[in-house]
Amino acid sequence: MSPPATLCAAGAVLVACGLVGSLAGRTRWALLLEALGMAMIGAAGAAVLFGAAAVGAQFGRGFSPAFGIDRLSGFFLFILGVVAVPALGWARGALADTPGARMTAGARMTAALTGAFCLSLVGLVMARDVTTFLGFWELMTLLPAALILIGRHDEPARRDVFAYLAITHLGGVGVWVSMLVLADHGALAGVPLHGDGLRGLVAIAAIIGFCTKAGAVPLHSWLPRAHPLAPAQISGLMSGVMIKVALYGLIRVLFEWDGPTPLWVGLTLLGLGVLSALGGVLYALFQNELKRLLAFSSIENVGIILLGLGASLVFAAIGRPQWSAIAFAAALLHVLNHAIFKALLFLGAGSFAAQVGGLGLDGLGGLLRRMPWTGAAFMVGAAAIAGVPPLNGFISEWMILQSLLHLSLFGRFGVSLVAAASAAALGATAALAVFCFVKVIGLVLLGPPRTTRADAAREAGVGMRWPLVLLASLCLLLGIIPGVLVPTLERLHHHTGLLSVHAGVDLPGTGGLPALPLALALTLLTVTLWRSSRNGRAEPTPAWTCGQATVPALAWTSAGFTKPLRILLENVLRPTRDLTIVHSESGVIQELRYEADVPHLFDSLIYEPVTTAALRMAGRIRRLQSGSLRTYLVYLLGLLMVLLALVQLGVLT
Amino acid sequence: MTADRAAAGVIQVLGGILLAPMIPGLTQQIKARLQGRPGPSPLQPYRELRRLWHKSGVSPRPRTVVYELAPSLVTASLLVALVLVPIGARSPDWPVGHDALVLVGLLALSRFAITLAAWDTGGGFGLMGASRDLTFTVPAEGVMLLAVVLVAMPVHSTSLVALSLAATRSGVWGQPAHWAALLGFLLVLLAETGRQPIDNPDTHLELTMVHEGPLLEYAGRELAFLQWASAARHWIMVALATELFLPQPGPFLARLGLLTVALPLWCVLLALTETTQAKMRILQVPLLLGGGAVVCLLGLASWFAGGGV
Repeated sequence: MSPPATLCAAGAVLVACGLVGSLAGRTRWALLLEALGMAMIGAAGAAVLFGAAAVGAQFGRGFSPAFGIDRLSGFFLFILGVVAVPALGWARGALADTPGARMTAGARMTAALTGAFCLSLVGLVMARDVTTFLGFWELMTLLPAALILIGRHDEPARRDVFAYLAITHLGGVGVWVSMLVLADHGALAGVPLHGDGLRGLVAIAAIIGFCTKAGAVPLHSWLPRAHPLAPAQISGLMSGVMIKVALYGLIRVLFEWDGPTPLWVGLTLLGLGVLSALGGVLYALFQNELKRLLAFSSIENVGIILLGLGASLVFAAIGRPQWSAIAFAAALLHVLNHAIFKALLFLGAGSFAAQVGGLGLDGLGGLLRRMPWTGAAFMVGAAAIAGVPPLNGFISEWMILQSLLHLSLFGRFGVSLVAAASAAALGATAALAVFCFVKVIGLVLLGPPRTTRADAAREAGVGMRWPLVLLASLCLLLGIIPGVLVPTLERLHHHTGLLSVHAGVDLPGTGGLPALPLALALTLLTVTLWRSSRNGRAEPTPAWTCGQATVPALAWTSAGFTKPLRILLENVLRPTRDLTIVHSESGVIQELRYEADVPHLFDSLIYEPVTTAALRMAGRIRRLQSGSLRTYLVYLLGLLMVLLALVQLGVLT
Repeated sequence: MTADRAAAGVIQVLGGILLAPMIPGLTQQIKARLQGRPGPSPLQPYRELRRLWHKSGVSPRPRTVVYELAPSLVTASLLVALVLVPIGARSPDWPVGHDALVLVGLLALSRFAITLAAWDTGGGFGLMGASRDLTFTVPAEGVMLLAVVLVAMPVHSTSLVALSLAATRSGVWGQPAHWAALLGFLLVLLAETGRQPIDNPDTHLELTMVHEGPLLEYAGRELAFLQWASAARHWIMVALATELFLPQPGPFLARLGLLTVALPLWCVLLALTETTQAKMRILQVPLLLGGGAVVCLLGLASWFAGGGV
């Protein structure tokens, strides 16, 4: 066996040992073993990605289980390692911080199932035949549901988990259809599919199936329900890796087995991308709970990735292989970047929740001074996801924007118009993301603490700190020297790489993004200016509020900060507001209650009518089930007659 | 050629730093004249900077390192942005490149820093301004990208040097697409520099401020930095409007001459808009910018209808 294969196998064995160990009650050791194992698997993936020979089997015609790592799988294993190691480490630190928690059955089961979840992701990425792929696909869907239900027994949580399973399984039909058709025609082994109709069918089924799991609008309704319920490390794994692994499936189908795809497939992805990016970030902006906000922001980022993938497909269809490869690399870079900062943000949210109790945005505040390490790392992650230079989010968003821009320069009128509109939408998305995460940083980390629990918060233990610091430094590192990775990612596309390796990203037809000098210039100038700006300070005074005393009740809220946009988009978002007079004395109002909400319209306008209609249909069909033996005999007879008639007509031959 | 580029580099840095406060100063002066007042001297911004430089800072409570770093970060990002903008279609090979979208990113970084500082002190007026500023940016960035698409059409590049070279080709400014892009860009310019009808730079009434709002808690050198940054934003946008959109002569010196004439002319234009236009209602602003987006898309259509250059 080659070194990566040995490393990967040993890692898997370690994770499995950890899984068994946590069931036996050695939870902390078990988590350590699992983290080590995932680190080894990630390292094996990185080795293959950066040039080691492919490992194990290749995709073939058969249905018998086979595993292997090629460069694309290696990239996703690398991402999995980058996210899983800090997530498992954080879980271990969280156990150490809450004495007594480590012995509970819940903690043991959570640790065991986390290991199993990681292994299912590894198995899916390494699967080299359709049976294994679909088997691990189902495991990957079911395990998070089990993980959520260990921690949450209440009725709303059960309903949300049910919604998650229902939606992902209904959408998952698309995965089964596309994979089975491809396997049946031997497309996995490289035999191209015949017929535009069949290829179109596979493309549509794959887009529906994989995009449901990736959480693209309008197939996303499960994501903001399921992700916030899970423990922080699982939310990080789900948002960071699981939805990306769905995109891995999409990439395999559209770029390898079903390719080259016609123009409309790429345009469809662009449309889904715009919808997801704008829809996701808009709803994220109006959320009042941190983890739910982060879940909506994952939808936004899936949209951004889909824009990159769509641009790549359209470039390929209009005969621009070089830009197709660049857009592809941009999308993959954003996959990695989003995995890093979203895991960081979810773990940080977990640390805050452990100290403050809840994650309602209006009940936190002032945590940067109380939790400096966690707070600073969280701030780096939020700035990265907002897409400001010189952090990693800016690099991949810049590359995707450049791809869309050049698509509108090279395309014919229709393509050009769609691409220009997508670029404008992505620009607006970036501005909205800045808005959203300025709000998050402000409400969580800055200003005065808004509750006594937030006031009493203390820094988390070392075990919960190092994973955050590690992820934050990765955000910085990939923002400063993205160029070492981009050509490697470009080579994952069929087109042979043309970009050269240096610190920045130098695309043709742009002014270049020299990330390292940019970051250096910004840092040096900021420090110099900051040193020269100190000229003594007056005594501390409260902020200016027209001479009034600053009382906490007057503090700005999440709803207040986003109000201009909410009023502006009233016709689209249809916010509800409820103003009731609680108490008035002789006509003078003494107490008011004001409730405002931005309802998730996709739920009430699309999903609820569909669910109601489905239940009504099911009710009708249930009448067939009378329970009487004689009725069933009549059904059997009827079926037999129909089949005989069909044979007679020559339909069944 | 190298001499040209070195001269351009000097103007980028020194001109940007020293002449930037002239743009808002001159605009105020012309505006006052148009309104029949003597008005402050065009050098007033310099005097204010000098006065602020000798004053001490304030320390609002509560505050963190975010409040203290924000003015320097804003100024640093604008200093880097200054050298991205070519002068006379030339620019020395600064190591930071010269990409249009990197410039957009740097402006976003400065906005990110100053709005975070507003959250840091938690003062209501700063946050009100921050929230409005961020709301305007949503359509403004969309329009900005469409404008970049349109000006990039003839040269297939987003490099600002290539784009400003394209403005010397006579065919470009006969194109409706080019003028549509100019209109979109001018709307972005108004939003980015905070001029009327989008924001009123003169007001210091707390309830109506947009860009000035987050600056409310600053004094001394920190405020001086922020005021210079605001002036530098004027300089960058006006220089870009000249470099990318005006019909340009070929030789470097002629282009410099055009820039010298154009800068005061832009000030006159800004002053005229400010005199004839009242400040809009806040919720009308995104509609105005949305109109800019529609014009840009029509410009794109006209490009294809005309068959390109």
